Amino acid sequence: MSGVNCKKAMAQLDEYLKQELTPDLAAEVRRHLEHCRPCFSHARFEQNFLAMMETCGRRETCPSQLRAKILEALRAEARRR
Amino acid sequence: MAEPSAAGRPFDEEALPHLDALYRVALRLTGDPSQAEDLVQDTMLKAYRSWQQYRPGTNAKGWLLTILRNTFINDYRRRKHEPIAMDLEAVEPHALDRSLEEVDPEGSFFSQIVDAKVVEAIDALPTEFREVLVLSDVEGMRYAEIAETLQIPVGTVKSRLFRARRLLQAQLYAHAVEMGYIRPREATR
Repeated sequence: MSGVNCKKAMAQLDEYLKQELTPDLAAEVRRHLEHCRPCFSHARFEQNFLAMMETCGRRETCPSQLRAKILEALRAEARRR
Repeated sequence: MAEPSAAGRPFDEEALPHLDALYRVALRLTGDPSQAEDLVQDTMLKAYRSWQQYRPGTNAKGWLLTILRNTFINDYRRRKHEPIAMDLEAVEPHALDRSLEEVDPEGSFFSQIVDAKVVEAIDALPTEFREVLVLSDVEGMRYAEIAETLQIPVGTVKSRLFRARRLLQAQLYAHAVEMGYIRPREATR
């Protein structure tokens, strides 16, 4: 099999999962993951971890009374001009 | 209500959709809901006043988060009780725990964990790690945007993120053991 080895694929895994790689490099990593079970498994773990951070970390929202307070402050600021 | 930016976009339309993200990042930076509220309000007023300088085509969320972070550093950080700074580079990634992955290779535990526990673990990270992790992995900013926001090289963003994630995983492993979801590894001799 041509392309990247485990070491190179794993060095780029983070950027692969965060979609920071160029399409060419991403395709190389993807091909490696399709053929290498340990790397695939590790990628799954990291992917689940990333998804968990996004889901759990984004649950909180701006309280509605703060939103109202900010809108009021912006209106006051606009009147001052 | 606001004058349009140089690009002709009204402030409300561009900025208000990001209030949730601003509030969450403010919470993670200040660690205090009432300070977070003040910080978000200060940020929005500053952004409003400099709306004319907002460059069309730039990412409004990134622009607002940059203002928020700078406001935090300049006006809030001194008020906060910061833990003693640790030597960030001394956190050796290879020495960090991979225990969670060893006992739970698919990361199934991640779908069982309670939100509050994750947030608690993020809040326990050293500031420099916490801010890159929140901006990248929670709020979805690109590495280049984070580098610009924090005024650090992209390579530093990546290395801090790497360490931040390992530290977080180590804490979640401890939590998984504590709640009996997984059994700790046998100590190797």
